[in-house]
Amino acid sequence: MSRSLKKGPFVDEKLYRKVEKQSSATNKRPIKTWARACTIVPEFVGYTFQVHNGRHFTEVFVTEDMVGHKLGEFSPTRLFRGHTNKKEGIKLR
Amino acid sequence: MPRIAGVDIPENKKIRYALRYIYGIGPQFADEILKDASVDPDLRAKDLDDQQLSAIATYIDANLIVEGALRRQTQQHIQRLRDIRSYRGDRHRRGLPVRGQRTRCNARTRKGKKKTVAGKKGVKG
Repeated sequence: MSRSLKKGPFVDEKLYRKVEKQSSATNKRPIKTWARACTIVPEFVGYTFQVHNGRHFTEVFVTEDMVGHKLGEFSPTRLFRGHTNKKEGIKLR
Repeated sequence: MPRIAGVDIPENKKIRYALRYIYGIGPQFADEILKDASVDPDLRAKDLDDQQLSAIATYIDANLIVEGALRRQTQQHIQRLRDIRSYRGDRHRRGLPVRGQRTRCNARTRKGKKKTVAGKKGVKG
């Protein structure tokens, strides 16, 4: 079920304030964040975020196309290395 | 045989049902089109006169995206998800279910026919 329109998009307050603070500065440093559930709003375009995936931070450069998606969609939490090869008994790749 | 929306040729069916053979037109749009073009939905497709056909075609052209254009649009949406490297785009790339369904079993529509792995439970290796 999708989110109630009444509430508007979920944007992490702290993260939003951080972006605002940087918008005046000329150099945009990547912002570290754990707020994977935060919706990407137009103000975020052109910023780089480091989105936590439970292990490390994935660099996410926000483009216009990403608006409306969540930050977490760009920082995969699972790593699939392929299936084991039974005969060899070792992981391939 | 009447032609509507480019290549589609419906047949001896009532126009209400025949229209659904066009990609992008289902029960709802079929009825909407016929109502707007004021064509009797129970007429057979072959019994429509040119004027009725053109009324239907005009409505589709003006209001709906069908056939090739719709397929292209859908493809573009998927391509966008891939290009921005989102999770959903990744699932499309791998041919796995996109909307969070389980993949331990089932999911055959996306994964295709079963690929039996030798040595797995019950299968002689």
